[in-house]
Amino acid sequence: MRFLFDPEVNWKHPFVLLTGLTAVIASGSVVLLFLFLIVQSLPIFSAMGLEFFSGSDWIPGESYSVWPLVYGSITVTGLALVWVLPLALGSALYTSEYLPPRWRSVVKATMELLAGVPGILFGLLGVSFLAVWVQDVFGLIDGNTLLTASFLLAGMVLPTIMTLAEDALRAVPFEYREIARALGLTSSEITFGVVLPQALPGVVGAVLLGLGRAMGETVAVMLVIGGLDRLPNPWFDVTQPGQSIPSKLGREAAEALGSGLHWNALIASGLVLFLMVMVISLVGTRLLNKGNKMSREDCCGVGGGNEPSVKILVGKN
Amino acid sequence: MGDILRTHSACFSFWSATCILLAGGIACSIFFLPSFVIAEGLIRSGGSTTVLPVVSKAAAHYNRSHPGVRVTVSGGGSGVGIQGVGSGLLDIGLASREMTEAEKKKFRERGLQVHVIGRDAVACVVSSEIYEAGVTALTRQQIRAIYEGRIRNWQEVGGPNRQIVVIDKERHRGTRHVFMDYVFGDPSAHAAGVRLVTGSNNEEQAKIAQSHSAIGMLSFAWMNQEVRGLGLIEGERIIQPTQGNVDNGSYPIVRNLNLLLPAKAAPEAQGFLAFMLSENGQSIVEDLHYVPVRQSEGSHLAGEVPGIQ
Repeated sequence: MRFLFDPEVNWKHPFVLLTGLTAVIASGSVVLLFLFLIVQSLPIFSAMGLEFFSGSDWIPGESYSVWPLVYGSITVTGLALVWVLPLALGSALYTSEYLPPRWRSVVKATMELLAGVPGILFGLLGVSFLAVWVQDVFGLIDGNTLLTASFLLAGMVLPTIMTLAEDALRAVPFEYREIARALGLTSSEITFGVVLPQALPGVVGAVLLGLGRAMGETVAVMLVIGGLDRLPNPWFDVTQPGQSIPSKLGREAAEALGSGLHWNALIASGLVLFLMVMVISLVGTRLLNKGNKMSREDCCGVGGGNEPSVKILVGKN
Repeated sequence: MGDILRTHSACFSFWSATCILLAGGIACSIFFLPSFVIAEGLIRSGGSTTVLPVVSKAAAHYNRSHPGVRVTVSGGGSGVGIQGVGSGLLDIGLASREMTEAEKKKFRERGLQVHVIGRDAVACVVSSEIYEAGVTALTRQQIRAIYEGRIRNWQEVGGPNRQIVVIDKERHRGTRHVFMDYVFGDPSAHAAGVRLVTGSNNEEQAKIAQSHSAIGMLSFAWMNQEVRGLGLIEGERIIQPTQGNVDNGSYPIVRNLNLLLPAKAAPEAQGFLAFMLSENGQSIVEDLHYVPVRQSEGSHLAGEVPGIQ
């Protein structure tokens, strides 16, 4: 029992009891959500079997296949990552290594503010400018495509990834930089040879957490992705419309509520999304913690001040 | 944590008590809020975005003249309206189509009553660029071929050499039901040539206006300079999408605007329905370019609106 109940805690104190209760409620809600998703999606698995994952059509009342939605989700977030990585990592490196401290806090504050901008605002921008822009630039017949959604998502997760990656870089002890400089290394050698390798787990974690946010984004994607539950033809043509899981849920949930298989199929799609995001977030958080802890252990608390902002951003996912 | 609690428990207890009271208060208010509001006469309505402009305008009038009753309106589509009132989430469902057999069966216990408050026509609409380039009317077969993906370029129907952006609606939308019923003879037809799927009338209107080569379906009230309604070629005749053609019964894609109430509706909900059907309510229907029902004699109950076959 020792691993569950700390014997030094006064269990009779009401505050301890109450906080304990709230902790049980908080962690229990996650378990409940997971159980709910599984139980509610069982009927579709027994009705469709593996075809739920391999089919290609989503026609309510006839057949349900989550594959085009999974494809859309992965394509859109994967592409978003490709666009956002150079930008986020570049600016994180610059902010952490070269920017004067006063400006650094300004940049950080701005980025953290930007990370909290609700998705719908990005969606409005996307639908009024980005879609038109993509249509003109790529010479398409219509601008609501997987590509447009990936651009939009890249913009949305840029601040999250940038600020978390910057924290990870910052958590590398200053002694390392000082010693490297004393050894005669140039700034760029210090950055790429010393700081970046040390901060790598944290940086990867930051990227994965950003990815988790991108994958769950609903309304902004819904407005620009095209809403077509079909694989593009040919499959790699991202200038065609598609559908992601959250966008599908957003469009159909209210109508399908309590209507048998249709509802179960949506819940099962939600379960698939939940699992994808969960894996990404778990790996991301673990890497992030590992990276920050590793750096902090052999320093004297230089990077410790960054932790609260990491926590806040993690909590948003 | 343990250390802190044992040494400073006295100073903590005040703050903890305050926090808990506050949290409890918030939790209770969230829990009890709906019941208080309902007691004040809250009527929740929602559903079709075709019926929505009428009901929200009427609700604003009604709320002003009836303090103590508050009518709220939300969108979502006819499917959502029927689903909502059937499951008790809404007091009044808005639907711009009739209930399907499946829906009738599902909500039989609620004894849903369908009340027609007006009529509306659905036009096949195109981007203004296409209309101005000469495509001003299509046959039913042409529209069908476009939606099936057999016709992919405007050139094939006398327009410019430009690919067609075929815009569909979410499958439960009322506008889609009547439009597909006319084009395919099947309200839930599968359209293979579709490029985009949109939700509300607003969204579809915006996307068609944004595009230079789109075709879609919208109720008359949503047509404007950028989103133009096509004439329908039936045999020798071209039936233009005009209010006059709806009134004289020659325009073929017409549907009822329905309010759905459960058999045991609250008196406040029935009061609002009565207002909707009164002279004032019907003038709102007319203001928004829909066809009022009181002009036509007879019952306002579902199914039988004079002038529609």
